[in-house]
Amino acid sequence: MKFADFVSPEAIRAQLTATDKEGAIREMVQALLDAGRIRADELESIIKAILKREELGSTGIGRGVAVPHTKHPSVDRLVGTVAVSSQGVDFASLDGETVQLFFLLISPPDCPGDHLRALENISRQLRDDTFCRFLKQAKSAEEIQQLLDEADNNQFA
Amino acid sequence: MCEPKATRTVDVTNRSGIHARAATLIAELVRGSRCKVSLIKDRERVDGTDVLQILSLGTRCGEQISFEATGGDAQRVLDALVQLFADNFGEDEEKIQEAENPQ
Repeated sequence: MKFADFVSPEAIRAQLTATDKEGAIREMVQALLDAGRIRADELESIIKAILKREELGSTGIGRGVAVPHTKHPSVDRLVGTVAVSSQGVDFASLDGETVQLFFLLISPPDCPGDHLRALENISRQLRDDTFCRFLKQAKSAEEIQQLLDEADNNQFA
Repeated sequence: MCEPKATRTVDVTNRSGIHARAATLIAELVRGSRCKVSLIKDRERVDGTDVLQILSLGTRCGEQISFEATGGDAQRVLDALVQLFADNFGEDEEKIQEAENPQ
């Protein structure tokens, strides 16, 4: 699976303004709404579900990366976005570091395969320190999109 | 001096495979041990303390994964890891479903 298969280009955010977990999640889900990937009447339900999932254990997986996610019946295919916070967000990560790089995923219920493949792709690409560093330093959505395209074309890792 | 080394292979039966929370539980357990643990799948070997590396294996339900532990409490850590899988990462599938799909 490639980034292009689940990342909505119009929902990419290079400069998150939120400094806490809920605020960051809210900004990313709002970006998916603005991009027309989720319905307005499902916004709060999706945010609530992602926060519920965080209660089961932080999705801050270390190295300044988090993958907040949920299953939600309102989507019929995997949708996702990427966001960068230059100041970092306290996400209660395993390694105690703040998070600068977010991949948010919403998948349909009973579709664990696609979700796992997206996580596999994200983490495999992020194992490349250069790719991870470039993403965290990106200053515009276009720059992030270009890096994702390059990763999809195997120019990293 | 030769450090104790042990290996164990488990079947992944969780329907979501080794997902983010499961990978985090594995890494937490390994971080709390006194040994070095590698996860091995299809000849690919990753560091058991690194969630990102564990997720990059993309381990699905029905696949197998091996753990190799080297150091003081290798056997104990492997026993705990096997138990984690046997306990389905502490998940009650119905409760998880409920938590992820609040209506």
